[in-house]
Amino acid sequence: MKHTLIHLNSSPYSSLACKEGLDFALVLATFEQPVDLCLSGAALAILTDNQNPTAEQGKNLHKLLDGLEFYDIENIFIEKHHSWLSNQPTWQGIQLLNEAEWQTMFSQYQQVFRF
Amino acid sequence: MQYTLLITGSPYQSKACHTALRFIRAALNKYPDSIKGVFFYEDAVLIGNQTAQPPRDEVNLTKAWQDIAEQHKIPLYLCIAAAVRRGIINESESRRYELEQHTLAEYFQLEGLGTLVDLMNTTNKIIQFR
Repeated sequence: MKHTLIHLNSSPYSSLACKEGLDFALVLATFEQPVDLCLSGAALAILTDNQNPTAEQGKNLHKLLDGLEFYDIENIFIEKHHSWLSNQPTWQGIQLLNEAEWQTMFSQYQQVFRF
Repeated sequence: MQYTLLITGSPYQSKACHTALRFIRAALNKYPDSIKGVFFYEDAVLIGNQTAQPPRDEVNLTKAWQDIAEQHKIPLYLCIAAAVRRGIINESESRRYELEQHTLAEYFQLEGLGTLVDLMNTTNKIIQFR
């Protein structure tokens, strides 16, 4: 069984990439494949609390985060230096990695997919 | 070694489908059994639209992929959820949604992401083109 990392790097509101990446992660987990997530770039916006997008703006993917543990998706990584995140209420299920840990993370998986 | 190709880049906004096509030709040329299947996800599913008509002086990417599928018996899968939301509909989905037309090009088939998971577990490596 291969351990998979899904790397979300797209804004949750500018395209479907973030949603379809999360959908893929949920399907992998449903088929009992070990899967972790990592977020960078515009995808970090998914972590901000109190999002209330309209239908035209896109789905509220933030709401999916609390359900990840029920799929046994328990490792969601971001890089520690995103200090702006600490200035606002954000989802607490993330694990912070320093730069070296972030860089070595990618080689610890047999498969990495980017969305 | 057998590969599965995962293509996620739009045929119109990226070169993912073009680059994957060059890769698969090179791979099949040297190792005829090296590709188990090709899975299109995200905007890449637009490659399976039979109604798209590219200008005659441009490459017909859909036709190029169909030729690969026909010549080498390589299955071309489109994620069904990604395809249906973008209007790529086969006959059975057309009936299900009570539509009068279907748009899925020949040699492409709609499959769930479970098929991609199965490909992941039965090939040595997956290569993503985005």
